[in-house]
Amino acid sequence: MSGNLSHRPPILRRPAGIGGALPALILISLFFVVPVVALLLRSVTEPVPGLQNYAILFGDGTYARVFLNTFLVATVVTAVTVIVAFPVAWMLAIMPPAFGSIVFGIIILSMWTNLLTRTYAWMVLLQRTGVVNRTLMDIGLISQPLPLINNLTGVTIGMVYIMLPFMILPLVGTLRAIDPMTLRAAALCGASPFDAFRRILLPLSLPGIAAGGLMVFVMSLGYFVTPTLLGGTSNMMLAGMIAQMIQSLLNWGLGSAAAFILLLVTMALYALQLRLVGAKRMTGGI
Amino acid sequence: MTEPFLSIRDLHKAFGSFVAVHDVTIDIPKGEFLTFLGPSGSGKSTTLYAIAGFQHPTSGDVLLEGRSLLSVPSHKRNIGMVFQRYTLFQHLTVAENVAFPLRVRRRPDAEVKRKVAEMLSLVRLESYGGRYPGALSGGQQQRVALARALAYDPPILLMDEPLSALDKKLREEIQAEIRRIHRETGVTILYVTHDQDEALHLSDRIALFRDGRIEQIGTGEDLYLRPASEFVASFIGNSNFLPAEHLETVNGSATIRLADGSVVSGVRIDQDFSHGQKTRLMVRPEAFRLRPGPATTGLAVEFIDTAFFGERRRVIARTAAGQEIDVRPTSDMAEAHEGIASSRQQIFFDPAAAFLFPA
Repeated sequence: MSGNLSHRPPILRRPAGIGGALPALILISLFFVVPVVALLLRSVTEPVPGLQNYAILFGDGTYARVFLNTFLVATVVTAVTVIVAFPVAWMLAIMPPAFGSIVFGIIILSMWTNLLTRTYAWMVLLQRTGVVNRTLMDIGLISQPLPLINNLTGVTIGMVYIMLPFMILPLVGTLRAIDPMTLRAAALCGASPFDAFRRILLPLSLPGIAAGGLMVFVMSLGYFVTPTLLGGTSNMMLAGMIAQMIQSLLNWGLGSAAAFILLLVTMALYALQLRLVGAKRMTGGI
Repeated sequence: MTEPFLSIRDLHKAFGSFVAVHDVTIDIPKGEFLTFLGPSGSGKSTTLYAIAGFQHPTSGDVLLEGRSLLSVPSHKRNIGMVFQRYTLFQHLTVAENVAFPLRVRRRPDAEVKRKVAEMLSLVRLESYGGRYPGALSGGQQQRVALARALAYDPPILLMDEPLSALDKKLREEIQAEIRRIHRETGVTILYVTHDQDEALHLSDRIALFRDGRIEQIGTGEDLYLRPASEFVASFIGNSNFLPAEHLETVNGSATIRLADGSVVSGVRIDQDFSHGQKTRLMVRPEAFRLRPGPATTGLAVEFIDTAFFGERRRVIARTAAGQEIDVRPTSDMAEAHEGIASSRQQIFFDPAAAFLFPA
């Protein structure tokens, strides 16, 4: 019931000898710490030592727009993903396990399908003469094709689709832990289905939403393939910009600085979530 | 005839070919404490859920003061309920939990505050308002659930095995609380349990369920002293069932022959038996005496084990026909002087305190 950390088995609390962890430490240092430090060094040494790369990124309106665009897309994608994922996760949580595992299988299978394939599939669906536009025109809802691709709409649709499993999985875990009887109790207390959702189900599922949301947001910030293919050149996102800086402009310093800013933002968000979730635990809530 | 407060009419609930509740009809007067008692799967919880609105009956009706509840959704039935599992809202404090039903009813803040204080004092958790449910014991959580269920003054309180997750000591403590709260609030309570002691302790009346039907409904005394069937007799209290053959009945008083050949007269019966019909004679363990009294009849037995518990003795005895029976006579002074010989050959009972059921 309680999330009391002092009940953890002693083995998790006892400070282990550093010797046993040495191989892992070397591995982590070599492949994770060293590259990050190298990245940081590059950003302040190329082409000449100094903070000029950061000054350019923060000072130039074009780069600022890319940053803004990136955060806007990540925010919208996260919000839409939460809205779409919640009903699916709830259905999975209350479904009989046999059906549930089939739906789970479908979701996982889509996750395992090649990313490029899925993104190209969306290009086919969303283009001017694509299935979506043609269907809408055939049933007479629209007379002109909607601009669904090479803009933020296309990026959002494609990325929400890619991100859904990362939202659904943690959310199902949280929702499964909620006793359905709690909602019956809320109903008998006089809560309409909407009240029960707003006052009980939603607050109880916040840890899952936070975990999934952070994952989706962070992944969206650094996403490359989908925004590049579905967003077109005018809607460049940070990852696309970094790729361009390094591949086309061969400006490693500027690219490294942008990548480092992305890393800092991600870490700040993670720290924020740890704080929020941690604080919740302390008060005896879930 | 005046309309009963709560009326369950021919309630029928089938899940496919399985009939969970079989044409149950009960009238419940205002303020009554009625317990649905029965083994698991006997339909008692299904009946309760039909009243709560969690399950729609296949046929039949539930009427509150003459108006049908069936078309009313759960959240508009204005019924209080305490569940088997802890269903407190874990993200809200104790006070917020109790306030919840008042908040969704958009009651003014001052009233909510006053009512929450009143309810927490009713369940004696005044100083716990600021805590979260996770920091409370199981018994405290159920008391908060009780406060939450009563906060909006519901006319009916449903309780679905609310004490089954608690240990024995806590159960007894909260039983006393429930009795007191029933007395103080006068709320009509429908209580589901499979524990006969709980049912006897708490209820004004008990409806004993078996296979989706009500086997007998009445006070605890009715069910204990005047069981309508062998099932009732065996479910409430302890019983010995001795195989017997019915010989004749004169003026509602039967004469039977037990398996060891002895003939017993003066057994009270409520139904007709034919000559030679196989029957079972039920004798409560405490109806046995170690010494003959007026109107008693003797039964030849061999003592296997005896134990002394102060107010009672517990004797395991074997009849001449080889059946083990449970004997719990009250201790009396004469016996104490006489001493109990392990070789004693007879125990005694009053045939008028025994019941005859078809085999």
